[in-house]
Formats: sequence, C-alpha cells, structure tokens
Amino acid sequence: MKIWTSEHIFHHPWETVTKAAMQKYPNPMNPSVIGVDVLDRGVDKQGRLHSKRLLSTEWGLPSIVKSIIGNSRTYTYVQEHSVVDPKEKTFELQSTNITFTNMVSVDEKLTYKPHPQDPEKTILTQEAIISVKGVSLSSYLEGVMASSISSNAGKGREAMEWVIRRLNAEIEELAATARGTIRTPMAAAVTEK
Amino acid sequence: MNSVGESCTDLKRDYDQCFNRWFAEKFLKGDRSEDPCTETFRKYQRCVQKAIKEKDIPVDGVEFMGPNKDKPES
Repeated sequence: MKIWTSEHIFHHPWETVTKAAMQKYPNPMNPSVIGVDVLDRGVDKQGRLHSKRLLSTEWGLPSIVKSIIGNSRTYTYVQEHSVVDPKEKTFELQSTNITFTNMVSVDEKLTYKPHPQDPEKTILTQEAIISVKGVSLSSYLEGVMASSISSNAGKGREAMEWVIRRLNAEIEELAATARGTIRTPMAAAVTEK
Repeated sequence: MNSVGESCTDLKRDYDQCFNRWFAEKFLKGDRSEDPCTETFRKYQRCVQKAIKEKDIPVDGVEFMGPNKDKPES
C-alpha cells in the first residue's frame, strides 16, 4: 500500500477555484477523462451540496489492443463523492476506481479551503492511497503509480488554472457586452439633457 | 464533455449549463432559493441510469471506501 500526499496553493479565491473544480473536465491537460456524469446531487440539512459523479477514463491503449479486447474493456470508471460547504468554504472530493478493483485500488481525496492567512488564495490538499493486489512486484508498481499520480496532480493543477482563465475570459466577455448595451441608452440619456 | 451514454450528451449539456449557473450565482452566494434544474436533471438521469445498466458499470450506492474496507471484486 502506498500513500501519497501533496499540498498546493492557488492564487485565486476559494469561490473561483471551487467553480473551476466543478467544471474541470474537459481540459487539455487531462485528455484521458472522456466522460463525466452526475449520478446524484442534493443539498443536505446543513446546506451542503453533495454530488455523486461517474468519471469515464480511457487509457489510450493502441488500437490493435482495443480490437482484441474490445472497446468497452479499455475504459476505467471512477466514482466520486463531493461535498461543497458554502458557509465553511470547503470543497471536499473523494474518489475510487470501480473497475479493475481486483487488480488495483486507487482512492483519492482532495480538499479545497481558503488559505488561512490570505482569503485571495486557496489551499488544495491531496491524498491518494494506492494498493496493487496479488502481484509480487506490488510495492514497485505502487511506487510507479504514485509518481504517475504525482505528475498527473501537476497536470490537474495546470488544468485548474486553465479552467479559471477560461471562466474569467467568459466573465470579461459578458461584462464587455453588458457595457456595450448600457452605453447606448446612457449616451442617449446624456445627449437628451 | 461526453456522457457515459452517448445519447445522453445533449441532456447532460443542458443540465450542466443549468447547474453551473445556479451553483455560481445562487448556491455559492448563500442564496437558498429553489434549484431550477430538477426537471432537466430528471431527464438526464433517466438516460444515464439506462446507459449504466446497459454497459454494466458497477456503480454502487456505498460511501467512499477507506483503506480498511473490502472492495467487491469487479
């Protein structure tokens, strides 16, 4: 069993990061995530939003392998449960693979919280527990998977920055359009005086 | 982004747009007004649940599996 943890600071406020994390896929840094579905969602009595999601990922096996083992067998499915607490400002996600469970188990947990000293920043703490089953090289393979998770976590953070830039650009565009539509009646009102 | 069920992608897109708007403009701002997406969610869900059954994806209703819990064999 291998445990991997990491901490990262985003230079964006918690609301921005949370909105981006909700819309993380698709993004160019994680091309292997090819499907995201919401299985269930609801607000609990404490006002927290719970979401259960299914992520479909494609390993990118060469097409000859796919033609032998069939297309659907190359997908890995991950189930994710997340909770957003808008009062406490926490966004916590937990995910686990639900296919190939007889071979490997990857459980991940991510928590986004405002930086305790700077409300314009957000801290992400990330943890993964990896177990490869029934193979004598398991601790070596677990090490390989941990470094893969580490490099993917780097891509994941880049992905978050990409989504944040895209959302900010959309807001800019909306604001520019709004300014354009307000300017005309305002100019008319001024000239009328 | 596609849905696990190819035919559900449009329904998913409608729901996602509705949800993202409500999430950013209401929920995160502490607005407790009613979720406007329940109808689109229902349509989307009907499609997705069918796709999951057809593809035999082992979704379960159990909470996050900690390191000590046994997973069912896939």
